[in-house]
Amino acid sequence: MAEFNVLGKNHVRVDAFDKVTGHATYAADVYLPEMLMCKVLTSPRSHARIVSIDTSGAEALPGVRGVITGRDFPDVFFGSGALRDRRVMARDEVFYVGEPVAAVAADDEITAVEALSLIKVEYEDLDRVVDPVASLTGSASVVHPDLESFEGYGFALGGNNCTMLDADRGDVDQAFAEADHVIEENYHTQPINQGFLEPMACVANVEANGRLTVWASTQGPYQIRQQLASVLDMPIGNIKIIAMEMGGGFGAKLRLALEAFPALLSMKSHRPVKLINTREETFTLNGPRLETNIYLKTAVTSDGKITAREARSLFDVGAYLGAGPNSGVGHGLGAYDVPNFRLRSYGVYTNKVYVGSYRASGVADMTFAVESHMDVIAHRLGLDPLEFRRRNALKEGDVSVSGARIPRHGLAEVMDALKEKMDLPRSNGSPSSDSENSRIARGVGIAVGEWRSGSGPSTASISLNEDGTVGLLTGSVDISGSDTSLAQIAAEVLGLEMEQVIVAKRDTDLAPFTGPSGGSRIVYSQGKAVEMAAGDARDKLLALAADRLGVQADALECESGTVYVMDNPPQSIGLGQLARMSLSSRGGPIVGTASLSSMPYNPVFNAQGAEVEVDRETGQVRVTRFVQAQDVGLAVNPMGVEGQLEGGAVQGIGRALSEEILIDPDTGQVRNASLATYLMPLAIDMPQIENVLVEVPSEDGPFGLRAVAEPPGFGPPAAIANAIYDAVGVRIRTLPLSAERVLAAMQGQEPEDYGLDAEALRAAEA
Amino acid sequence: MKRVVQITVNGVDRTILVEPWYSLLDMLRDELHLTGTKKGCDEGDCGACTVLLNGQPVTSCLVLAHSVHDANVTTVEGLASGGELHAVQRSFAENGGLQCGYCTPGLIMATVGLLNENPNPTEEEVKFGLGGNLCRCTGYSKVIDAVMDAVESTKETE
Repeated sequence: MAEFNVLGKNHVRVDAFDKVTGHATYAADVYLPEMLMCKVLTSPRSHARIVSIDTSGAEALPGVRGVITGRDFPDVFFGSGALRDRRVMARDEVFYVGEPVAAVAADDEITAVEALSLIKVEYEDLDRVVDPVASLTGSASVVHPDLESFEGYGFALGGNNCTMLDADRGDVDQAFAEADHVIEENYHTQPINQGFLEPMACVANVEANGRLTVWASTQGPYQIRQQLASVLDMPIGNIKIIAMEMGGGFGAKLRLALEAFPALLSMKSHRPVKLINTREETFTLNGPRLETNIYLKTAVTSDGKITAREARSLFDVGAYLGAGPNSGVGHGLGAYDVPNFRLRSYGVYTNKVYVGSYRASGVADMTFAVESHMDVIAHRLGLDPLEFRRRNALKEGDVSVSGARIPRHGLAEVMDALKEKMDLPRSNGSPSSDSENSRIARGVGIAVGEWRSGSGPSTASISLNEDGTVGLLTGSVDISGSDTSLAQIAAEVLGLEMEQVIVAKRDTDLAPFTGPSGGSRIVYSQGKAVEMAAGDARDKLLALAADRLGVQADALECESGTVYVMDNPPQSIGLGQLARMSLSSRGGPIVGTASLSSMPYNPVFNAQGAEVEVDRETGQVRVTRFVQAQDVGLAVNPMGVEGQLEGGAVQGIGRALSEEILIDPDTGQVRNASLATYLMPLAIDMPQIENVLVEVPSEDGPFGLRAVAEPPGFGPPAAIANAIYDAVGVRIRTLPLSAERVLAAMQGQEPEDYGLDAEALRAAEA
Repeated sequence: MKRVVQITVNGVDRTILVEPWYSLLDMLRDELHLTGTKKGCDEGDCGACTVLLNGQPVTSCLVLAHSVHDANVTTVEGLASGGELHAVQRSFAENGGLQCGYCTPGLIMATVGLLNENPNPTEEEVKFGLGGNLCRCTGYSKVIDAVMDAVESTKETE
């Protein structure tokens, strides 16, 4: 592998100093003169017609400067996902408990809260549907009868099925008929919250000239600019989004959430307006994830080759399609080459909070099912689970579900690394190694996660300063340490030290358009743009230096802040001097730029192993060791890469063991909207995560690097479920793997029935 | 009716008029604009608002502002001195013990409080000591590394 000066070495994050001193500025930290506070009134009903709203009491309260309802917004629908099925604030009807129906701006927060209590809303209840399986079968009431008129509507089965995706290859029925074994199972996953520590916050200010500025906590400043323009009926050019420091988003802050309320209230009051969600509101106003039901049927030969897969997955999307069920198709096969498949995924409406994105929406759900299923099949065949996976693993040159050629990747390498690190298979494999009488049973389980680097438009601009430092400007928000990695890429190309690259804070007036920070795309796609922009700046530098030194540009090298003649290094010129010269040169000051629209398909694989202890008396599961190996292509900043892997793994462990949004089965209301009752992992719950960074260079990423952040969150639920099976011999097919469920299974109780009626779905399709 | 609170914050004496329902957290943020202390839940669950109250770590969202009359409060802004980072701040930065940074001030203050009580904790004691602080980004591994490194570096300088 090439030797790098800056890449592949540990660097302290460029924002670390600001963050450890408390000087990093988040949206809630913005205080403007005359600023008002906004609070939002939400629906207490699951599904109801709004008969009337009387805001006069609130408007009469001293200190109240503005009250808005859905009727104050233009009569438009917008979409957080593919479908424009949603109003920014309820107008004639509410579709879930927690949906915004009015908002108030007042001199202070307590006045705003009091004003909410003075708004009188008369509702007339309508039929509701809460259970997604019932919602799909068509017997339930219909949430959005106008579905087919929504912009973006494609194909679905009707009723509450708002979108259906499919993919087929080969002759599935014949493969099932000829199979040595056919294994058919159902899995279920729970509603889950992204758990970002920074509640959603923003400040909006409309200036006298009509321009709107929003200080936002967002992963996608250009995306919320566009959506704000749509729901406020404003020109995009009249809106400036200032992307503040992000206190965690994990997908929840990809799209417009509440920014329109303070924006409209600022227009009405001519004052800046601030809105900060309470923790309770983050459960219903930011789009969490809801439950998923997954049916899998797999044909396999006796020697362990998968010949066919049918996968049907039902994603409860709540009241609006905030994020689609794409992963049901895209990840129905896992990391494996399956010659024949029939993949279907369904999004269904229910009268619950709409779903948003969370660290590769739905992939962790699919991975739990697929990777548990892989172990079930392996045990049926009497094969070692890792060996069974190896026999079916995707290889370079295979074809993905979407038809893309699979380029070079490190799937075999990550499985090898896990095998070595965990000493698999355990020759003295549990559970037989544990005494049946001991209270604590030990087990080990594995799972493989697969992802592809996110793509989308990317841009970068690099300007050379008179002292030889450079300014790097991109439109992307740093949610993962990406600013540090982007600075490393620029430094590497230009032969600079990290300290010589200054990463600019950005807003949408200043920085060129870029896609949102999500899907592990920034360092891969945006990094490519930075590499190209730095290359452009370098070409210009070398041309200027060549002119000055009287040599050809290709005789020059750019390193350690100077440009020198390769055959005669003392003949050199410093970057600062070149920058100063450029000011009066024909080409003018040196600026490198780059734009690209997308990057090629690029797979990433992560193999994980969990060692667990199961308490036979209580069913309590404890993860005592967690190991993961991921192909990162090139570990740009190893410390940062490990941090992403560890954080993702622990989110996955939380999903596996303790996290669950409890939904009232009658009303669809969230019942545990607090961090005391929504149980995220604490330090004391977690082992120190062990990482192996595998580096199989990607074909297209800058310097061969790959996406990092999404895959580590996928495997933990299946790895832990497989370890529980190894420990105590019970198979749990529902998340979370709570003590109650494990204990019930050990006592031989029948599991909950979440089964999809695959036969009915086949019939509906025909 | 507003009340007068006299308080020393980061070594500076302050006299502040606050509403009786104001929390210490809201007073620090809204009145003093010391925004390094974060509000993650306002219910005492997340630990992002941890400050030192007379040397003890507390979740400032659960402390009424007027109850801290005559108290001494240290926030994350008060840790560094003379442009030099506190050992715990430096250790969090150098060990990758932070990502989005929102829980970081609380984790740092909880760590400083813990090390004041127990300068030489085991890894297990650190994990217990940070039991009131949620972090969603790091998975805690590098946070624990950072604290253990701060313990080591403090020993070396003594």
